[in-house]
Amino acid sequence: MRKDVRVWFSKTGTARYISHLDLNRCMSRAFRKAKLPLWYTEGFNPHVFLTFAAPLSLGFEGHHESMDIRLVEDIPYPELIEKLNAGLPHDIRVWAVTEPEMKGNDVANAEYVLRLETEDPAGACEALKGVLALPEIMVMKHGKKGDKSVDIKPYFAPMQFGTEPGLLKMTVRLPAGNQGGINPTLFIDAAEKHLGQELLVRVERTRLFDKGFREFR
Amino acid sequence: MLKLCAVSVIIGENRKTTIRKAVSMLNRKLDKILPKVQKPGRYVGGELNSVIKNKEDVDVRFAFCFPDTYEIGMSHLGIKILYSLFNRVDYIWCERVFAPWVDMEQAMLENDIPLYALESGDPVRDFDFIGFTLQYELSFTNILNMLRLSGVPLLSRDRTELKNIVIAGGPCVCNPEPLTDFFDLFLLGDGEEVDLEVIELYRKCRAENKTKRDFLLEAAKIEGVYVPSLYDVEYNADGTVNRYIPKEGAPATIRKRVCTDVDNMYFPESFIVPFLDIVHDRAVVEVLRGCIRGCRFCQAGFLYRPFREKSVETVNRQAKSLCETTGYDEISLSSLSTSDYSHLFELLDTLHTWTEDERVSASLPSLRVDNFSTELTDKIASVRKSGLTFAPEAGTQRMRDVINKNVTEDELKRTVTIAFNNSWTKVKLYFMIGLPTETEEDVAGITALGQKVIDWYYEAENRSKGKRVSVTVSAAAFVPKPFTPFQWFGQDTMETLEKKQKLLKSSATSRKLTVNYHGAQTSFLEAVFARGDRKLNAVLLEANRRGLRFDGWADCFDFDAWMQIFADLGIDPAFYANRQRSFDEVLPWDHLDYGIKKSFLIEECKRAYAAQTTPNCREQCSNCGVACFKGGLCVEKRC
Repeated sequence: MRKDVRVWFSKTGTARYISHLDLNRCMSRAFRKAKLPLWYTEGFNPHVFLTFAAPLSLGFEGHHESMDIRLVEDIPYPELIEKLNAGLPHDIRVWAVTEPEMKGNDVANAEYVLRLETEDPAGACEALKGVLALPEIMVMKHGKKGDKSVDIKPYFAPMQFGTEPGLLKMTVRLPAGNQGGINPTLFIDAAEKHLGQELLVRVERTRLFDKGFREFR
Repeated sequence: MLKLCAVSVIIGENRKTTIRKAVSMLNRKLDKILPKVQKPGRYVGGELNSVIKNKEDVDVRFAFCFPDTYEIGMSHLGIKILYSLFNRVDYIWCERVFAPWVDMEQAMLENDIPLYALESGDPVRDFDFIGFTLQYELSFTNILNMLRLSGVPLLSRDRTELKNIVIAGGPCVCNPEPLTDFFDLFLLGDGEEVDLEVIELYRKCRAENKTKRDFLLEAAKIEGVYVPSLYDVEYNADGTVNRYIPKEGAPATIRKRVCTDVDNMYFPESFIVPFLDIVHDRAVVEVLRGCIRGCRFCQAGFLYRPFREKSVETVNRQAKSLCETTGYDEISLSSLSTSDYSHLFELLDTLHTWTEDERVSASLPSLRVDNFSTELTDKIASVRKSGLTFAPEAGTQRMRDVINKNVTEDELKRTVTIAFNNSWTKVKLYFMIGLPTETEEDVAGITALGQKVIDWYYEAENRSKGKRVSVTVSAAAFVPKPFTPFQWFGQDTMETLEKKQKLLKSSATSRKLTVNYHGAQTSFLEAVFARGDRKLNAVLLEANRRGLRFDGWADCFDFDAWMQIFADLGIDPAFYANRQRSFDEVLPWDHLDYGIKKSFLIEECKRAYAAQTTPNCREQCSNCGVACFKGGLCVEKRC
């Protein structure tokens, strides 16, 4: 028997600073520790078969992260979750296991929430809206084929702003996944440059979507 | 007797909140800098099996400081043992601290973030104990730098209260004299034995409102505890030590502590599992402590005597427990010389009863030339075919006899032939240059031996045909160390070492032979501090003022800056490194007792110069003195 399942987890707190490669190793160990009936690759150096839908940038919190594994025996999902969590550090928590409805490659967009702690949320909101009102926002983007200059204004123009005491909250949906994504910090970096001040923003990735903005499942 | 409990990794929601609050204050500042530094995972903690306690519930907070990067420190077995040992005690919370890399250090200074412990995020200056492990002389500057980043006064005498007790253990504690101004006390020998007694004493003293001085006076009465401030040193006109004068009832000599029952010696059931790819990322079980060999250059071989082995059952149980709690798929059977373990094959067979099913492999950290076999390589799956490493240490038989590395050319030939016939094509050989009595012939003998290994490849009948053999010889500069028969030896000057390095390089003629050597400058500095005295405290303090740290890292090591400091302070480093000492000189570590008799070391030194070997402890007892501890091989033989 072989059955692919999708494991949903959050990556918060200290785990924000764990790179994708390190996360991969951490998960492999948790599976090993949990002694789950998993499929191992059959190469020279067998290892647990694991694929992640859309790696999260270093420093971001993620609440809707997913990875696919291949079971060789059926195991009740609650048991799988419990065993896996027992082998994970407490800032990485598995909260659901589902049968995949889409392919990992289908992830094409993501929703991010950016939190800026400030004494003057309204002022910060005006300033950032001012940046978005510029005719264009050119940034250097590091890509596989070298750096290139991109206008990110179209991506960030629909950003939603919300203020709370001491906090400016921004929500934006951006391209993500294997086909290339737009990192929300591109806008923050550009705004810092334009405004000439440092912006301490916490980024959280809250949801994943396919190219038609259907929730990734 | 201390009350012990299981390691409490907290789950309770209310406890978690308290801790989170403490961390989050710091986090706001850290969030700003972490995304900008290399490998931020070094600075956040949160790993599997790290221990979180509620600080309100503990009496003693211990900051275990490793004076190097996270990746180096987390690979060290000692920190894992002591971390778990301390945290098993209800009233102690031991946390980890590593030296921030230079980019993080810069960011911390700019943002006014003091050095903090990884578990709670609390500043190191809030801790009762600040404990360092002294592994390597070139990490001494990192110790001072970490104290400075903590905002703790560097000098012991400036820390007047009963808190921030700065202590150290580890191999370099066998001569801690260059650090006596900074440390309150040193712990000699096995930490499993002595450390908790000192912590318990501190707790008692604080409960009774005693002063730091009261505590230190009491601590000095514990065997294995060296309180440097309780000793005055008199020097001779030529700068050598005249005598150590103990004060206020401090013992004239301080004897190291030894665990004789290694089967019942504390060993952790679990390790912290780092996120980052550290240097040794695997489960490690110590199979034995000490070494039977008596190689005369090797300090560890003398410091960790007597030779004590764990039983197969103990090692197997500890290995299994570690794999279960960590998820590691590799177990390293660690010790100074694991292939000398009496029951090695029995152990490997026992491990095999479960490791195969669990996809776990066992490995040995090093192999000896004289007991390598096909049987052994068959049993150790993880000796990958990529390359084999052996340490003949010297190029000629005469030189190997001088250092008592009892390995012959025939044994090396036999070993590499087995390896070549089993499809290995890469061999790495470790050597030293600058050994006592070394001649040009001995140096050229290193590359000659490398060349012979290449020739033996072509003589090996079952070698992998069509593959190219590659032999690397790597030569480190010899650093004479305390408590070895070479402790009196004047190290070769840097000029001599560089000449020998050139000779080594030029004597290699084959492209199949690669010659590497390690810096003469770092070895010189290492020699200075390894056998230094209290006058070097001033040098370290000045080095700290001038911003020196990470001297063990090529990208930070600044030799000219060091020489400038010596010149400015009027201290001649050659006095410590290159001066040949006489047997009757009082050495700065003579008041420390590792069980090895000085008369034995003198005898061994004389035998070395006569190129006479000494049998290993298993063959015959040489009466080194450590039988005084009444443990291990020393007593087994008498049964």
